[in-house]
Amino acid sequence: MMYDICIIGSGAGGAPIAYELSNAGFSVVVLEKGKEYKEEDFSKDEIGVCRRDMFTPPLDEEFHVINQREDDGTITRYEGNKYNWSFWNGSMVGGSSNLMSGYFHRMKPNDFKLKSMYGEIAGSNIVDWPISYEDLEPYYTKVEKVVGISGEIIQHKFLEPRSCDTFPFPPLEVNGVTKWFDMACKKLGYQSIPTPRAILPHEALGRLGCSYSNFCGSYGCATGAKGSARAALLQKSDAKVITEAFVYKLESDATNVTHAYYYDKEKNSHEIKARIFVLAAQAIESSRLLLNSKNKYFPNGLANNNGEVGKNLIFSAGGVGRGRFSFENLTPLQQTELMQTGLFFNRSLQDWYDYEDEGRRYKGGTIDFLFEHSNIISRARKEIFDDDGNLIWGEALQNKIHKTLTTSRVLTFEVFNDWLATDACFVSVDDEVKDKFNIPVGVINLYGHPHDIKVGTYLANKAIKVLEEMGATDVFMNISSSAPPNLVAGGCRFGENPKTAVLDSNCKAYELENLYVTDASFMPTGGSVPYTWTIYANSFRVAQHLLKKLS
Amino acid sequence: MNNDTIAPDNMVLLKSRRIFLKNSFLTTAIIVISGTAFFGGASALETFKVVQEDLFPHATKLEIHSFSYLMLILNHSRIRDDEKSFLRNGVQWLHEEAVLQYKQTYTKLSSNQRQIILQTVAKKQWGKKWIAKMLTYIMEATLGDPIYGANTNGLGWNWLEHTSGLPRPKKGYL
Repeated sequence: MMYDICIIGSGAGGAPIAYELSNAGFSVVVLEKGKEYKEEDFSKDEIGVCRRDMFTPPLDEEFHVINQREDDGTITRYEGNKYNWSFWNGSMVGGSSNLMSGYFHRMKPNDFKLKSMYGEIAGSNIVDWPISYEDLEPYYTKVEKVVGISGEIIQHKFLEPRSCDTFPFPPLEVNGVTKWFDMACKKLGYQSIPTPRAILPHEALGRLGCSYSNFCGSYGCATGAKGSARAALLQKSDAKVITEAFVYKLESDATNVTHAYYYDKEKNSHEIKARIFVLAAQAIESSRLLLNSKNKYFPNGLANNNGEVGKNLIFSAGGVGRGRFSFENLTPLQQTELMQTGLFFNRSLQDWYDYEDEGRRYKGGTIDFLFEHSNIISRARKEIFDDDGNLIWGEALQNKIHKTLTTSRVLTFEVFNDWLATDACFVSVDDEVKDKFNIPVGVINLYGHPHDIKVGTYLANKAIKVLEEMGATDVFMNISSSAPPNLVAGGCRFGENPKTAVLDSNCKAYELENLYVTDASFMPTGGSVPYTWTIYANSFRVAQHLLKKLS
Repeated sequence: MNNDTIAPDNMVLLKSRRIFLKNSFLTTAIIVISGTAFFGGASALETFKVVQEDLFPHATKLEIHSFSYLMLILNHSRIRDDEKSFLRNGVQWLHEEAVLQYKQTYTKLSSNQRQIILQTVAKKQWGKKWIAKMLTYIMEATLGDPIYGANTNGLGWNWLEHTSGLPRPKKGYL
């Protein structure tokens, strides 16, 4: 059978295209490496989900090689299976969007023209996007309505232009501690922003509303309130989804992809033919598949005759911080507010999305605040060391765990700022090791530009001030070049120059007529927000282009 | 808390543990030798039990089945072989340290002597890592979902006034 569209990967980059094209009557097949789970399959099993990683491949079967660039410039090689270092996210229908927290921010107009607005930064590959915020705005709005985003618009100096005045769904209920946060921000002159979430506060869009179960990030949503690609889109489309289908090669002639080859769970090989192929296997794996798909027309990998596939891999830069609120410093009412479970915190700061420091203008970023994850095993385990880093056990450990977990709570923050693309951060494939399918594994070559840490630290210090003003103790932050595996983009950047970009402005490969890449690989810069909303929006934009092309 | 659905799954887990115990290398006695002197054998399983009690006796008061849970871990599909080997090797090294200091295997020592041995190995790189892993699995047993058969009736959660997320799992992930 010849399909109209074959999509590799069912997450946020692939699902909008499956949804739009199949609902328009085109034949769509989606090849997904993971299994299918539905709402009734999801639970809050901390051991299964978070400690045994039930939604990601076992590392002894599938892994990456990580080349870590050290401070002295040397490279240390880590094989993920040997060092227990995983870059997998959700391997399942709907991808990692099932497991996201759903903190949704739009990128801002300046994010689309980083080079023009802020200039070159030595050692980085900053570029402007080939499209503008205005081009993407209608699709951000579409995501709000179709995927479902809840929140409240607060006017602030970096609020992006919007074609609608409100979110289609009202904000989720919040914990009483948000009042302390708002008061602290007011005193400091900061603008507290309710964090938009891809979570439905009530039944809508054929899905149930949030049950306020208090476990969101890392877990699948049992009500369907979370706007995963599966719940919001794939379950409402007629696209054929083939699960446990690992695509190991795309075949092509000189101008077109002709076949996708995949292994099923028994390692039997199958082929799919289609008019259009859309690659959305998440940034690292999409580049890996292209690099592993060599043929006589593309000896360096598919769509890679210009050598750009895999280049300019980026992550979300920044880091995390926290502060603790303890009963001994609180009134009984405050203690009750602090320990309210189930309700969201949902507060963000974007006052320094653009800032000046020592006479220089910087692109800043976003700070999201949230309570420490409710995972009880994880929280208890943190107490096995004393303040000097020595192990404790027995009655001392018992008392420490009990006091910490029953009379205090930690408020955390996450900083999101640009991870500058560089020549040293890229995806390649390994010459030595292969996965269980006997396919060369992807190599993640890591390097974070020092500028990223400078900006992240500036932002984190602002967050620290808020925590201190709120009365938190044990205030701490950690800004580093550590690459967050769940916030990865780039590798197949789009751009106006076919010599330096893999994709054109419609995310079509310059070197092939029918290959598109629509996961976060296309992003040449990442903005200073989590990526998912932008991935969704861009995929809806590309779907519109494909509808016109196929019609 | 509704525990009506837990028992059948516990039975499955229990059966798998029994099968494991029949076949496991852990049922083999550990031979402890210091220099040329032979200090006899020690049961790895018995040692795990004693160490768990030494590290976190509160689990027993909470009726947590830490030992059964550890057996489950040692047979778990997602626990790497090198992790399992390290846990067992830690037992061997613990006994060796006990023999070095007291000329007795760990399980034959007094409670105070065992604590001194734990303090000693906690200062060594392997020992710090091993004790941390043992404590981690005790925490998993104590605070994991009762479906795994260790946190009986959610008493571990009650101890910390913890409200579990919902829905709870219908079966454990093994």
